[in-house]
Amino acid sequence: MKSNTAAFASVAPAFAVTGFVLFSPVVYALWFSLHEIRYGSVGAFDGGANFLRLLQDYTLPGTLLRTVIHTGLSVLITVAIALAISVGIDRMKPRAALVAKMVVILPWITSAVVATLLFRWVFINDIGVASYAVSSLVGAEFQPMTNSTGAMTLLIFVSVWKRLGYAVIVLLAGLKSIPSECVEAAQVDGATPWQVFRLITLPLLKTPMLLVVVVLTLANINTVETPLVLTGGGPNDATRILALDVYERAFAIFDLGSATALALVMFAANIVMVLAYVRLTGWRV
Amino acid sequence: MQPDAPRTFAPAPRVSVARRSATLSTQTLVLALVVLLIVLNGLPFVWGVLTSMKSEQDLFRFPPAFFDFEPTLDNYRRVAATGFLGNMLTSFAYCIVAVFFVLAIGLPAAYAFDRYQFPLRQPLFLLIVASIPLSIGAAALLIPTYIYFARLGLTNTFFVLPMIYAAHQLPMTIWILKGAIESIPRELDEAAIVDGVSRLGVLRHVVLPLSRPALAAASILAFVGSWNEFVAGSVMVDSPGLKPIQPLVYSFIGFFGREWGPLTASATLAMLPILLIFILFGRQFVAGLTKGAVKG
Amino acid sequence: MKRTIRLIRRLAAASLLAASVQLGALSAHAETTVRMWTFLNPDGKSPRELALKEIISRFEAANPEIRVVVEPQVWDQMTPKFLAANGAGNAPDIIWVVTDLLGEALASGSLADLNPLFLNNWPKEAVDERKDGYWERCAWEGGVHCLFHSRNYYGVIYRKDFLAEAGIDPDTLTDWPTFIDAAKKLTVRDASGNVSRWGFGQQFSEDRADAQMMSSIILSRQGDLFHEDGRAKWANPIGAEALRLQCDMVTKHEITPPQAVTWSAEDLYEQFAAGRLAMFTGAVVRVSTMQAKVGKDNVGFMVWPGVDGKPHSPAVMAGWAVGVWSKSKHVDEAARFLEYMAGPEADRLWVEVGGQIPASGSVMKEMPDFFAQPSNQYIVKAAEGIADYGWISPVKFSVGGYRQVLNKAAQNVITGGMEPMAALEEAEKRFNQQNRR
Repeated sequence: MKSNTAAFASVAPAFAVTGFVLFSPVVYALWFSLHEIRYGSVGAFDGGANFLRLLQDYTLPGTLLRTVIHTGLSVLITVAIALAISVGIDRMKPRAALVAKMVVILPWITSAVVATLLFRWVFINDIGVASYAVSSLVGAEFQPMTNSTGAMTLLIFVSVWKRLGYAVIVLLAGLKSIPSECVEAAQVDGATPWQVFRLITLPLLKTPMLLVVVVLTLANINTVETPLVLTGGGPNDATRILALDVYERAFAIFDLGSATALALVMFAANIVMVLAYVRLTGWRV
Repeated sequence: MQPDAPRTFAPAPRVSVARRSATLSTQTLVLALVVLLIVLNGLPFVWGVLTSMKSEQDLFRFPPAFFDFEPTLDNYRRVAATGFLGNMLTSFAYCIVAVFFVLAIGLPAAYAFDRYQFPLRQPLFLLIVASIPLSIGAAALLIPTYIYFARLGLTNTFFVLPMIYAAHQLPMTIWILKGAIESIPRELDEAAIVDGVSRLGVLRHVVLPLSRPALAAASILAFVGSWNEFVAGSVMVDSPGLKPIQPLVYSFIGFFGREWGPLTASATLAMLPILLIFILFGRQFVAGLTKGAVKG
Repeated sequence: MKRTIRLIRRLAAASLLAASVQLGALSAHAETTVRMWTFLNPDGKSPRELALKEIISRFEAANPEIRVVVEPQVWDQMTPKFLAANGAGNAPDIIWVVTDLLGEALASGSLADLNPLFLNNWPKEAVDERKDGYWERCAWEGGVHCLFHSRNYYGVIYRKDFLAEAGIDPDTLTDWPTFIDAAKKLTVRDASGNVSRWGFGQQFSEDRADAQMMSSIILSRQGDLFHEDGRAKWANPIGAEALRLQCDMVTKHEITPPQAVTWSAEDLYEQFAAGRLAMFTGAVVRVSTMQAKVGKDNVGFMVWPGVDGKPHSPAVMAGWAVGVWSKSKHVDEAARFLEYMAGPEADRLWVEVGGQIPASGSVMKEMPDFFAQPSNQYIVKAAEGIADYGWISPVKFSVGGYRQVLNKAAQNVITGGMEPMAALEEAEKRFNQQNRR
């Protein structure tokens, strides 16, 4: 009994803060979304009209599909590359490793808008230094964004580039925690490097992987800056993802009712996904 | 599988057997990746820093001017004239206060989640996990949240941003710290309790020192997250003195166009503290996550 | 004797009391702070910011009891945030509203009527000379609720030296065939066949979408972009022909690059600054920044070429509508500052220091030397355009997102292979659905 009081007293402040700052605005937003929103203020109660409008929007299924593709591929590729790079850095000498880490985290610690703008300027724009170098060497211009597949590929590329640093840092920390005795023992038993990686390293990286996958999934689903600055959602909606749709509803069309409704639906889906993922990986609470 | 404690605390040079036997092709592949990454990450960064030292006429010279231009500090002077350095201090204060509260609230909660058995423990912890999407995606509810906080009279106050930042970072911190506490043998605190130490005393004298590296790692993540936060910072406060730096960096992408000079100058200044933190605490960071959530 | 002393004492006490009341009143007055939201930062160093700083300091010198505090905002969030703050009851005293959301701001009742505040005291001539398209948009339910600032006019920005090299006189480009021929001459290819400079830059990304040339043709032929009830009015032969011409510039005439489908308005200015564009669709408010990059006397501005034998087509105008928050506690003080900031003395400063288009014609007449300079000709051109060929988006219904939707139609034609009519039907459907019409 006494222990229960102490336990609740210990977790209460955390729930007070998250409850007030994170959950109560969502409750307000739910109330908000059930009303007619005119000129930025709350009007008459109109049931689920804002949500109904989402169902009637014929562009949403496509946007949803693109969101799944963008997030799925971005997370997958980021994790794969981050694993390779963190294994590489793990084997470096300390000083080289520090430099490598610094370089790896640069895009992650730069503001998303500035980082994306710089990437676009240097590598994509034909007045950029890299595109200029390439076009004067090869004699051909690189215009990946003028077709739908190219634009989505580029969006995924930049999403990976922007968030790779976070994944590397967390996975690297995970690698450091794997006792070298495990690896040595396996090798004595005649395991190939690939077997060591697959059977020893990967299973021991389960928790950092969980952290990385959850954070990357949420970050990619919710990114507005990257598609907005890189492609503006085009061409032909090829890079329009849900978060960009919410942003445009709120700030270009000023339809706060449906923007809020869509954001709430996204939240619900995100929460279900994270909890399902935590459960699926058998993560012990 | 418990990580061996001595090595984690004082990383001894370890012999990576894998290195010796790794095939040449994997090594080449990894090396190629690292080189590619240096180009992809380094070039925009170097270009950004160079741009911050260019005058208006040199910004868009074509073919692009890599080094043959007259460097100038004018952009940095312009940025400084808007009070940017003062706002860096403001941002710094916000982040320090946020990190302090995140740790002060997060550590007892993480400890309770790991060590106590109490009703609703699991659902409550899942609720913490469920609030991670709310913090990462908070921007999507920007306007309703603004109206809500404005109605409560909280906007444009000195405490609204540290409060929001603390709430944003709290769920992740609890997650990481809980992992760290898991790896502290229970026998240690049980022994202390047998010796008559209170639970609070255990937290202070056993858990706190042993989870210090994880606390450092969680603090760095919370600091970086708060330092780079843009949306709440741009909307929740109005007075120039209360503004954090990210909206000020963004303000150089103005209605009348992107001002690349001051934009890159302010973005460079905004990155410096974080680079500094990673240089100073980089080793702590890795060690901390090692003991933390990252436990296998 | 005693009496005299008592009298003196009483007088002294009374005067002390009076003085302290006076002092108190004075300090109470000096407390009046007027908050203004704008995207300009008076501590910044751009020309407009310098002008704003000067205007505020002159106003405060003349009105020591009022302090003007600018709270700079991110420009694209500012108006939605103001409307939200209006609902929540803590909006600033003075607000700059973006043209697209002016209708919302007026309908919400958040902008005070300026007639009783100060416009009724203005001489009739001063009011009359401001009665242009901008003024009409601020007129609402019998009052005038805002004054336009940062007047903007879209047309063609060009490099004077490139046109001179090619022997092209910008004044002769008054119809599209001539314009396209000139743009072909201005398009330069290098030895390997790659284009090193394009004749006419346009942008079709949905990010920072400006109104394109097709709008000018539609406006010239049907007078408006929308029906009376706010539905889009594009999917007709007029619109289809205009969109086809706009896209032909990429696919057939090759004077606009294909990457235009990914360009935002910002890209055009940067490409132009890099010397990669000879002419492009641009906003007159940006000419001064371009001058700083490619030479003060090297940037020209022209209004749209015309159709059907007319010398010019109308252009979309925009700007920022500045108003006083109707629920402000300091409506009078706020109005006093707005009156000054929009008045003749400040207008001169906005023009001279800030490079803005003047709000009143008389300012132009008072500064003949300034406007005679070649580097200031663009202001004259734009002022003429505003007077004769301007169109500003309506306020009776919201038209948010229309430029984005029209740009997407261009993308659909250029990279999606759609017929212009089909693309416009899709655009109309999308726009009407978004705006619930």
